[in-house]
Amino acid sequence: MKNIIILPLAAAAAIFTGCGTNAHYVQTGGRESIVSIGQINDQDFIAAAGDATSDLLASGVLDTVKGRKAILAMSRIVNDTSQQINIDLLTKKIRVGLLNSGKAVTTTTFGLGGQAEDPLAKGIQQQQEFLNDQKAAPLPDFTLSGKIIQTSVKSGDTSQTTYSFQLSLTDQRGLAVWEGEKQITKQGTRSSVGF
Amino acid sequence: MKTKLAALSAIVLAVAGCHNPMNSVENAQKSGQRSMVSDQRVVADMGLNRSVSVVGLNTAMTPGGLLKVQAELLNTTKSFHRFSYQFEWFDQDGMQINNVVSPVVADQIEGRESKFISAVAPSPACKDFRLKLLEAH
Repeated sequence: MKNIIILPLAAAAAIFTGCGTNAHYVQTGGRESIVSIGQINDQDFIAAAGDATSDLLASGVLDTVKGRKAILAMSRIVNDTSQQINIDLLTKKIRVGLLNSGKAVTTTTFGLGGQAEDPLAKGIQQQQEFLNDQKAAPLPDFTLSGKIIQTSVKSGDTSQTTYSFQLSLTDQRGLAVWEGEKQITKQGTRSSVGF
Repeated sequence: MKTKLAALSAIVLAVAGCHNPMNSVENAQKSGQRSMVSDQRVVADMGLNRSVSVVGLNTAMTPGGLLKVQAELLNTTKSFHRFSYQFEWFDQDGMQINNVVSPVVADQIEGRESKFISAVAPSPACKDFRLKLLEAH
């Protein structure tokens, strides 16, 4: 009698708890990732970066630089959300995608406010230019800037948050030659696992 | 009896998520011509295949020489459905090209809806592709 009661209970408990909560590896950004409503998750950054990179590559803007790969510099990406974000989670993926495409390279010696991302590389570059009497390194063909915006609404117990990833690629004339926006909306009463 | 019917309707609505099938209209004489490609399929999830059925695949090249793929999906059921998909890319030697440009994308489709999903190859070296469709958790 005891077994008859305990076994279905154990089965039900196993179903509801997802068969255990032991630590295990999951694919980053995969469908087992945790989805939180009030927070940007890994899969959101991956989706936004993937979308922006695909769109940018498909636009053909980078191909307007003839004879060499386009040179890209990272400008300011404003975080207009309620959480602290490391913008590299977005920009690095875009940079890797563009580099792997063979269509663009990103400068690490030319940064916002004269701050080089890699000061050592900048020092070597300047030394090379001085010793070999070379011309200064070419200016970036494009800069990438943008904004991440959060809008949240609530109805009863249900919360909804939309994250807008807005990016602009500006050429040397100061014209935004490509712009992209990816919106990710999440809705629910609490965080969950899976898409 | 009426109480039972009302309760049943409420349950059906709750399970279906209050989504109704979709109506649509489009121009009959198309100007654009899709370049359809023949495909080979592995269907392991028959349920998913009914709610997210691949009608066809067509490809095009971007101005920068990248392969662009578009898949037409059709939900043959009346119910709204959540799913995820991912494109994988392969070079001319059939080797998979790892990239950050092709994430797992969460998507949804209404009952009887036909919709398109597309992706652009991450580099000009990509010659072939595979589309993976998964049931959302």
